[in-house]
Amino acid sequence: MSQPKIACLILACGNTLRGDDGVGPWLADWAEEHFGDEPRVHIISRQQWTPDLAADLAGAETVLFLDCSVESIPGEIKLRAIEPAQLKPGIATHHTGAAELLALARELYGAAPRNSLLLTIGAGSTEFGETFSPVVAAAMPEVQRLLRDTLSTLLG
Amino acid sequence: MPQTITIDPVTRLEGHGKITIQLNGQGEVEDAHFHVTQVRGFERFSEGRPFYEMPSLMARICGICPVSHLIASAKACEAIMSVRIPHTAAQLRRMLNLAQMVQSHALSFFYLSSPDLLLGMDSDPGGRHIFGVVAAKPELGRAGVALRRFGQRIIELLGNKRIHPGWVVPGGVTEPLAPAKRDEILAMMPEAYHGIKLALAAYKQIAESFQPEIAVFANFQSNYLGLVNEDGSVEFTDGALRFIDSAGNVIEDGITATRFTEVIGEAVEPYSYTKFAYYKPLGYPEGSYRVGPLARLNIATSMGTPLADAELAEFKQLASGPVQSSFYYHHARLIDILYGIEKIEQILTDPLILDKHVRAIAGVNRLEGAGQAEAPRGTLHHHYKVDENGLITWANLVIATGQNNNAMNKGVLQAARHYVKDGKFTEGILNRVEAVVRTFDPCLSCSTHAFGQMPLALTLVDANGGTVDQIVRG
Repeated sequence: MSQPKIACLILACGNTLRGDDGVGPWLADWAEEHFGDEPRVHIISRQQWTPDLAADLAGAETVLFLDCSVESIPGEIKLRAIEPAQLKPGIATHHTGAAELLALARELYGAAPRNSLLLTIGAGSTEFGETFSPVVAAAMPEVQRLLRDTLSTLLG
Repeated sequence: MPQTITIDPVTRLEGHGKITIQLNGQGEVEDAHFHVTQVRGFERFSEGRPFYEMPSLMARICGICPVSHLIASAKACEAIMSVRIPHTAAQLRRMLNLAQMVQSHALSFFYLSSPDLLLGMDSDPGGRHIFGVVAAKPELGRAGVALRRFGQRIIELLGNKRIHPGWVVPGGVTEPLAPAKRDEILAMMPEAYHGIKLALAAYKQIAESFQPEIAVFANFQSNYLGLVNEDGSVEFTDGALRFIDSAGNVIEDGITATRFTEVIGEAVEPYSYTKFAYYKPLGYPEGSYRVGPLARLNIATSMGTPLADAELAEFKQLASGPVQSSFYYHHARLIDILYGIEKIEQILTDPLILDKHVRAIAGVNRLEGAGQAEAPRGTLHHHYKVDENGLITWANLVIATGQNNNAMNKGVLQAARHYVKDGKFTEGILNRVEAVVRTFDPCLSCSTHAFGQMPLALTLVDANGGTVDQIVRG
């Protein structure tokens, strides 16, 4: 952990072959296109978040998680702060959520981003396919605007 | 009254399987089976596809060891093309395969098995996972995460993707190694060495306390199979197969991929979708054998790298002949990792490693081809037939888990007979029976599944189907 910290880590999650589940990776690609030249931003896109990403989190000042949500209303956009989870019995180990990753970063490396945000869009459909449902497609301009604004804020 | 105990699904495995234990009227274990309950249809649906698509198609079988499928498949295609790939391509593939072995073994040891080993077989099942290890042994948790990242990062650097890289193709690889990538891999070496040395030391410290498990975790005489070089050293990507008996005698050596089906057959049992491989001259089931880390160390005379050679010498002191308890798969897995790190470092110092000539081009020159490689879990064999246009007409894959199938079943039975008495069991006993299967680290054609979230129910059922007792986890 002697390397200088990344100002903002964008960490996306999703499967681009499962409809709206691919919204995280899609936004990561969009961010790469628009902020790829910004050296303070580092973008990682995965089908699922796994414990090894804790090391990346430990090396970041701030993190913006991008994911779809099956719990939200389809098309609903949510941006919220995330706190590290408690590492208690019953915690899931195969798919690691944002809060668990933050906890792992803290436990393993004694460091976690000072500001952690999770941006989600409610999934309309996660059936096989590489296109978004109409409700998610309609929400994309707003999501992009929010992503841009959030990134500006995180970078100060 | 006869009864059956069912463990379904078995947790912390790569794939879906279940265990059944049959009790007699006295509550003693009569028989036990490990069932693989998912179907792999890849041979069938590859028919009609162009042979050069096979590596990337076959890699989709698994999200943990796709590289082994890529390599075995590409080698089978190269047999059809009748080409010998450039030296640099062979070295780069070897490095890719070793990187995959390191990350897969790190997953098996640290994520799947270390909760049993470090926290205890009887510890609270709710905390018996990688997060529990991190909380109890953070330095080992860091080592596990670092070793997995080490392997995955090398795969990403070479293949441009962490999972299912398309870089390995029939004839070699699609692009040479860039100097910056070589330097990045070399820079990761110190942390990788630190992690594996830490893990080996920790394992040796606790191994002694597992003597009861060592005694009954698939601890029996068997044959072993694996790839070796001509000098008898361990090999993962090229070389030829060596078959030894339970006393360590070399029964057959230099088995090339072309000869594989001459000596290895596959039997079928009604309780599993996975086949049971056996050595044909001995027949089934006498010709059953084990593959994977334990087998590799039992058949090899050396590792070919200094640190791993020192570990191998120590390992061989565990028995006068082959080391027979499958509990030692864990130990052998760690030595594999050490070897992989050393070998990758050696490969990167090859003066030709940055050479640009990394692919041979050819069409269909034979109508049949076979390829083999060592996957993390053991020997993997791909065999294809094509028509004159290069379209697949037949395919057969012999995977490591199928080759360990008989030993896994015998191991489950051995442990069940030892632990289950008078038809009674506890969660710790249930976990030990599962842990026998975990020593083999079977890969049940997985890509993605929720092994850490799967509920586990062990039910004791009487002859009329009534539930006598049940333990539910998750």
